[in-house]
Amino acid sequence: MDLTSFNLGAFLRSATQEVFETMLSMELGEIDAIKQLPEDTRQVVGSVSMAGTVSGTVNIYVGDMFAKVITADMLGMELDEVDSDEEIHDVVGELSNMIGGDLKSRLCDAGFDCSLSIPSITSGKDFVIESKGWAVNEQVFFEYQEHIALIEAFLKNGS
Amino acid sequence: MALKVLTVDDSKTIRMIVKKAFRPYDCQIFEGENGVEGLALASKEHPDIIILDITMPVMNGAEMLGKMKSEPDLKDIPVIMLTAEAGKDNVMKIVQLGVKDYMVKPFKGEQLIERVTKIMPLNEKKNAEDPKEDGGKKYFSLDGDIQCLTVPAKVLRPTIVEVENLLKDKLKEMQSAGMKKMILDLSKVAEINVSLIKLLITILDSCQVAGVQVRVVASADTGKELKEFQETGNIPIHFSADEAKAAF
Repeated sequence: MDLTSFNLGAFLRSATQEVFETMLSMELGEIDAIKQLPEDTRQVVGSVSMAGTVSGTVNIYVGDMFAKVITADMLGMELDEVDSDEEIHDVVGELSNMIGGDLKSRLCDAGFDCSLSIPSITSGKDFVIESKGWAVNEQVFFEYQEHIALIEAFLKNGS
Repeated sequence: MALKVLTVDDSKTIRMIVKKAFRPYDCQIFEGENGVEGLALASKEHPDIIILDITMPVMNGAEMLGKMKSEPDLKDIPVIMLTAEAGKDNVMKIVQLGVKDYMVKPFKGEQLIERVTKIMPLNEKKNAEDPKEDGGKKYFSLDGDIQCLTVPAKVLRPTIVEVENLLKDKLKEMQSAGMKKMILDLSKVAEINVSLIKLLITILDSCQVAGVQVRVVASADTGKELKEFQETGNIPIHFSADEAKAAF
């Protein structure tokens, strides 16, 4: 199967919506692409990578406040009880692991054997993660109440 | 004797979800962050069941399971494997490792408990035999033909879920008994937060749907603060139970 015929966008959408629905009881609505995430807001980015006959990356971007809302919901805490980055990073990392895990499974089922890394976190303000040289890529924006999440994935043929 | 459960996962979030799922049951929970810690805890505590993540740093779940299978006193401990990967090949690999069952993330705590009970029975904690009855006494009381619902000093997210569930049953009970009046007592409330506001709205909406009249009692300070919120600004507040009763 050619990687370009792999339905990356559809898998990314269904995985993200299922993870948020099951783990957080949050129904995400897809929104039109926006040019960039707000520069003045601290972003938390959870990432997992795949390596094998296909290689790639899945990133989930959430603003600082949404990351706190997600963390509070996932851990059964009040918003004001979420006071450590460790908890936020763990939760956002786990979300990226679940979304990336689903995508990896779809790739393996389509004949692209690969392994999944453990999640990593990048956080800060006013930064851009540029990924180049990929065969296929997809960005999907979601909203939940006043919050926005960006999920993106990049894939190319591996070794 | 309490069931010993070992959860091995590098994610604190997942360990917490597992712990929460087992909370209503008579269980002792042990936690490991990777296969090395998991193996050490398994040898020391001899758990009745292990909930084991597959992808972990230091030593992954497959390696840990392999080492357990070579230890005569650990090899028969049932293991439920957690994985974020539902692909056919991955599932086949997991099954071949000799696990009792596996769960694909995302999953809900109830789903995990369902899988565990297929392997071994779980006993509910003795002091949590009837949480509804306990909760009923904690929040609800009767004053003649008026049902009183007393809101605790601090409302947290779990309080909303608990009260919502109890209220559903209580409203059915009131309907079948022909009771139409409720006093919502906020006089113990010490902190106004988002959860409290959500709870108030939920209670008032549910009562309206059930045709139950509600009068709200609160301290002067709480009443004043509630007036400042758009969602609660129009709710009439009474400053004593007698005043509320007279307003029916």
